[in-house]
Amino acid sequence: MRDSFVLRNSLKILGLGLLCALAIYAASSLFVSGSYLLAALPLISAGIITYIFLSKRRYPIRWLVPGLLFLFVMVLYPIGYTFLGSLTNLGTGHMLSKGQAIEQLVGRTYAPPGAERYAYTAFRNPAGEFVFLLQGRDTVLVVGGEGETITLPDARVVDEDGDGQPDRALDAHRLEVREIIALLPTLQEVRIVYAGVTLGIDSLTEFRVQMSKYAYDETTETMTDLENGTAYTAVQGIFTSAAGEEIYPGYRVWIGFTNYVRLVSSSAISGPFARVFAWTIAFAVLSVLLSFTLGLGLAILLNDPHLRARTIYRVLVILPYAIPSFMTILVWRGMLNQNFGVLNQMLMSMFGAGARVPWLTDPWVAKAACILVNLWLGYPYMMIVALGALQSIPHELYEASHVDGASRWQQFRKITLPMLLMPLAPLLIGSFAFNFNNFNLIYLLTGGTPPVPGTQTPAGATDILLTYTYRLSFEGQRGNQLGLACAVSVVIFLVIATISAINFRMTGTLEELSKNV
Amino acid sequence: MYSRHTWVGSVARHLLLLLAIAFAVFPFLWVLSASFNATDSMQFQKLIPPTPTVSHYQELFGERYKFGIWLWNSVKISLITSTFVVALTALAAYSFSRFRFKGRRVGLLGLLLVQMFPQMLAVVALYVLLLTMGQFFPFAGMNTHTGLILIYLGGAMGFNTWLMKGYFDTIPRSLEESAKVDGATPFQAFVKIILPLVRPILATIFVLTFISIYSDFLIASVVLRTADQQTIPVGLRVLISDQYGSRWAVFAAGAVISALPFLGVFIVAQRYLVSGLTRGGVKE
Amino acid sequence: MKRATVLILGLLLIAGLTVVASTPGKLLIWADDTRTPIMQAVAAQFTDAYGVEVEIQQVGFGDMRGQLATAGPAGEGPDILIGAHDWLGELIQNGLIEPIVLPTAVVDQFDAVAVDAFAWGGLIYGVPYATENVALIYNKALIPTLPNTFEGLLTIAKGLTDVEAGTYGFLIQQPDPYHTFALHSAGGGYIFGLDANGVLNPCDIGLDNAGSIAGAKILDQMVKDGIEVAGADYSLVTGLFNQGKLGAMIGGPWTLPDAQKGGINYGVAAIPTIMGKAPAVFVGVQGFMISAFSANKVLANLFVKDFLITKDVMLDLYDRGGRPPAYLPALAELSGNADIQGFAASAANGTPMPKISQMGSVWSAWSDALALIVNQQLDPETAMKNAANQIRTTLGCPSQ
Repeated sequence: MRDSFVLRNSLKILGLGLLCALAIYAASSLFVSGSYLLAALPLISAGIITYIFLSKRRYPIRWLVPGLLFLFVMVLYPIGYTFLGSLTNLGTGHMLSKGQAIEQLVGRTYAPPGAERYAYTAFRNPAGEFVFLLQGRDTVLVVGGEGETITLPDARVVDEDGDGQPDRALDAHRLEVREIIALLPTLQEVRIVYAGVTLGIDSLTEFRVQMSKYAYDETTETMTDLENGTAYTAVQGIFTSAAGEEIYPGYRVWIGFTNYVRLVSSSAISGPFARVFAWTIAFAVLSVLLSFTLGLGLAILLNDPHLRARTIYRVLVILPYAIPSFMTILVWRGMLNQNFGVLNQMLMSMFGAGARVPWLTDPWVAKAACILVNLWLGYPYMMIVALGALQSIPHELYEASHVDGASRWQQFRKITLPMLLMPLAPLLIGSFAFNFNNFNLIYLLTGGTPPVPGTQTPAGATDILLTYTYRLSFEGQRGNQLGLACAVSVVIFLVIATISAINFRMTGTLEELSKNV
Repeated sequence: MYSRHTWVGSVARHLLLLLAIAFAVFPFLWVLSASFNATDSMQFQKLIPPTPTVSHYQELFGERYKFGIWLWNSVKISLITSTFVVALTALAAYSFSRFRFKGRRVGLLGLLLVQMFPQMLAVVALYVLLLTMGQFFPFAGMNTHTGLILIYLGGAMGFNTWLMKGYFDTIPRSLEESAKVDGATPFQAFVKIILPLVRPILATIFVLTFISIYSDFLIASVVLRTADQQTIPVGLRVLISDQYGSRWAVFAAGAVISALPFLGVFIVAQRYLVSGLTRGGVKE
Repeated sequence: MKRATVLILGLLLIAGLTVVASTPGKLLIWADDTRTPIMQAVAAQFTDAYGVEVEIQQVGFGDMRGQLATAGPAGEGPDILIGAHDWLGELIQNGLIEPIVLPTAVVDQFDAVAVDAFAWGGLIYGVPYATENVALIYNKALIPTLPNTFEGLLTIAKGLTDVEAGTYGFLIQQPDPYHTFALHSAGGGYIFGLDANGVLNPCDIGLDNAGSIAGAKILDQMVKDGIEVAGADYSLVTGLFNQGKLGAMIGGPWTLPDAQKGGINYGVAAIPTIMGKAPAVFVGVQGFMISAFSANKVLANLFVKDFLITKDVMLDLYDRGGRPPAYLPALAELSGNADIQGFAASAANGTPMPKISQMGSVWSAWSDALALIVNQQLDPETAMKNAANQIRTTLGCPSQ
């Protein structure tokens, strides 16, 4: 017993040590590569874990560590990242960091009118230095980056085998095509100054004029166009001239809570907000209630040990769950097509041409269709969860109530439902939150349509908050406004978290926890 | 709650179930028939294909698509992830159910709330994260299954912990107490006594996780780049992503086959899902 | 003490490891599934010639732009990608693609409109390989002689339409602005007008001018006459056509392979004059672009200029995609092809698809207007005015 105690403890300490070493390794490398935010992550997590495992008081937390570790890195970090994104102007024209944008602009080149191309032969000496022979308007010998006009034949350029192609220049030997290819990463950076212009490599055979287009002055944050002298100053993440002309690409900058202010003050959002919000809530609530009802009903039926062919039934009713939902939503979309969908074709063949249901084109029917499809997608989850939870209800309760002469309905009301709701209430609230943000269903089934006539912005009849606001952020003034979309995510998260927290209070789910052990 | 059925009750039950099955199965049949239909268009297929063909299945397993690899990737990733998720969740749920500690209620609530964050934009952050991770641990970077599984494990707790904790709460403490008297550590008591009793909920969470991972498109499409690494949803989407030229029938064939592994897992697991036997052990 | 030892060991471990960086000298190309096989063949030639490894990654056409925005700046993106010219505004604003310097002699070998489509600010950002536009595609068995006017076409269409029997005369997939633009443009409708410098002015929106509304009214009348029906989406319209149950449709080159498979004797022609005026269709151009984050820019240029700009590759691309080549020597080869002539006739009066990033706001509002018209929920004039004002609102332009 004692031995195993010692062994366990030394294993623990060894493990923690390894963990810390690993964390320090990751953090220091991240720090060096400039990801300061990410660098803190391994250090903090390793520190907390070590503390938890060395502290007796934190014993219960030890059980949570594996799950929490992943939760922190893979869930909380992205949330933080999204929040930071919401404080920037990230979006079309502002995707790059400032450094990347400047690097790209400074790397731009231009060719003045009448600029010439030169055919080249490249040589390399044993020391690895390049010599070029350029042939265009002039013949130019380039040594050490400096060009000198020469006239062939020149003693420094030697055609050893007499095939008309120079084989050697000074002490350098000619490079073959494959050698040039292999050296391209270096060669493409070579710049030659000759006759007042800068030349750079263009292909395997040619140099062309490549003058630097822009120069950046860090102290004044000014980008100057070297071709025409225009100065551009940094304005909100884009270099802009005095005349208002902008040069792309821009870069992302911090803009504080501007995105949130826009969200709140924008008439495009406040206009249809009440309608969209009401439908979002209705959609989420009805989806949960209906799929729970159907799922629970089926679970109770299929849990019955006396039912014949239970397994076959179970497998058949679970089918909607078996195919990835983005596929089945598209199938439903096809089936619900007003003129050509199979549902209306069947209805019309049974009840005549008048029985055509405007599934996806009438605002109210389309709403119902969204809920119907979501019921189809959602009840298997509820059924599985309910089946699992049914197992936790002790038989004795039923036996006792049976003795007391309770009817089956009374048993359901008094035993099954309360005993199920206790563990399932949080899942129902979670499912509500999921459907509140069920982007996929709406986007793939209706795309928010049918449109509502006369709106100021395109908010469709089945648009939920998330689909509507995302669309606004992705189809904005200048294309994508990712920063705004991040702000939307954060705000919607706050809304749904608040609603859920209130739900928890109302259902007393949290209070229940402390009592039942 | 269940007793032997009367004749009427029995018929009523079966009728109800058949109704539910019609609702459940119809779209699935539609996919099934599309996969055998010669035409490549959803609207013109007949429920019973006039000229049935297996060519779409052949094409799927032919040279152009790597469907066999996608299938294997999907099954592998889903199985591994589900196993880990069940383990992580069981540990966490047990702690929440049995121990009292500071931050317990906040932790439980927090677990649930963080899952409600809209995931669509978070994938950009995950992308950066994996790219960085890949620089230090190439086996867990972009375009790797390990990286993807690690991301999935982030969502492991949340709802699952609640579900499992609810189940743990119904098991009397006296069982572990007696084990501890016999000299077992809390962890031993947990593994030897409690886990066998909660098999239904373990199976439930396994099945739920399996299918949610199996059908994930959003995250997998960001992480998995090359055709060799992709899962079924990511691989198949190429077939319908082209606005003018979707391969509907081949897509349907892929969907039909992709349903089989999940059904297999469900058929195995459903015995545990509903096994009243395990409860017998709790009776004192 | 023990813990300290472990920490030191760990630190030593760190020193021994180095960070792996991406290595230049290998080309990565993004292509969609139609073009991947052709790129693979060219890549093999390139590797043979120069010993440089080339990898082709298959990326969905619709996903490419989004993926490039994340992967490019992170150093994970391709060197070369195959895309459409109307991505240009977004890609350039985001600094994702690089200008390509083409000698005049090479430029002259391409369709001038196609080169112009890839031009931005005086530079060329892509090597065009194919143009695409819609035309009238009709079933010769059902419509043996094509009428000269759109009105004549509608009369024939009405005669052919029998919903009970499942046959239709003429369908435009709906709600789809791209395919419906011809109706609006005939009378003078446009999306964005040009400013004094000949540059698109995003605040000059012509979707609610008289011509555009007149076009919307034609669509409305088509619905009222039972010619156009709600729910006619792409797969449906082409499906009907391929089964010989549709007289004519507005469609692009991508619809032809399936029509051929269906054994339809079809013809391709310019859309007939509407109200006496020739309608304009959108012309799109597809081409090869080079990533601004490529570590192999010279090599990428070499691949594009020396290995892709060849008659054989351009003809291969035509064979698989059915889109008329933008490379004149390849196009000349196909001069006897009636399909290509039909599309060219339609394109003769075409207008390039706007490539500014503001287009994103246009499609959904316009498409909503068409849906409301087709579903008969709003009159055409109000619908178009509404759509134009929605666009003005999102673009921050004064409302009219």
